Amino acid sequence: MSPFGCVREREVRDLLHQGYWPKACPEELHAHVETCRICADLVLVTRALGEERRRTMPQARLEAPGALWWRAQLRRRNAAIEKMARPIFGAEVFALAMALVVAAAVVVWQAGNWGGWIRDLPRALHLDALLPASMVDSGGGALWIVVPVLATIALLSGVVVYLVSEKQ
Amino acid sequence: MSWESIIPNALTGEAAGLAAGAQPATMDNEQFAAFYARSARPLWAYLARVSRDASLADDLTQESYVRFLCATVPEDGEVAARRYLFKIATNLLRDHWRKPQAASLEEMPEEVFAARCGAAQTEMQVMLSPAMAQLRPRDRQLLWLAYAEGYSHREIAEVTGLGAASIRLLLFRARHKMAQLLRKGVEA
Repeated sequence: MSPFGCVREREVRDLLHQGYWPKACPEELHAHVETCRICADLVLVTRALGEERRRTMPQARLEAPGALWWRAQLRRRNAAIEKMARPIFGAEVFALAMALVVAAAVVVWQAGNWGGWIRDLPRALHLDALLPASMVDSGGGALWIVVPVLATIALLSGVVVYLVSEKQ
Repeated sequence: MSWESIIPNALTGEAAGLAAGAQPATMDNEQFAAFYARSARPLWAYLARVSRDASLADDLTQESYVRFLCATVPEDGEVAARRYLFKIATNLLRDHWRKPQAASLEEMPEEVFAARCGAAQTEMQVMLSPAMAQLRPRDRQLLWLAYAEGYSHREIAEVTGLGAASIRLLLFRARHKMAQLLRKGVEA
């Protein structure tokens, strides 16, 4: 017998698990358990926990297996959709980053020319054809109408983006 | 009657294909129901007695099965599947212990177990709850797996994630301590 085990421990354990203890086992094993502290502990604890297991199991409040099956299916589906959406989100982030880089590059490149760009905008958009000659001839050209139009477009774009993101 | 027939359109189209393709279904609805009927009560008893909280055992039992169904189940028979289920439950229990504890109205004191049972208890059963309460959670876990579920040292190592070599010593100490507490309780 070692400090952490007895040579007959396995035999006693097998008898306990097969339900042969205490009635269907030899007398000399009973005598051994009486004198061996390790086997006595084994018998005491195994019987106490075995009884407790039998007593506790009927108290379980179990959910229907179908509900658990269903929940697992939903979780698997959501995980699969999330997995599929991950690269799309990555591509969107990449596209946005690239657009910002290009915009920043254009801003830097054209840093000194913004006044000319804005002055040329009415002519580039052929606004002269849309406005009365008196307005075109007055000082400042059609700039006073271009700026509010651009502001309105920016505002409407913001509203559209907001509505689309809300809908999603 | 299966749940798919009750709610037929819930998993249709691309999402259903994705769900099926994401994990190979190794257990169908009927097989799962049979497996659940055989394994749910022992699993609940394990969780309830180790955690000493019946409500927590309810929650963790459900979560264990959902995770079990979402994972790739071992294909070497029901014994391995059951061991895997206990492993999931053990990990959930460990995660719960690691989380900061918040008081819950659902928490049920140990006495409720006795009240629920109704039947007359033996002296040993009366002594068991205080003895279990004095043990560390890990010791309760090891003792239950070894002596209530009948798992071998190797199986306990697999379920708990502890080293197989240390199980023998840990179990010996836990058993000795529990036997002492039980004897002390009976004598008192």
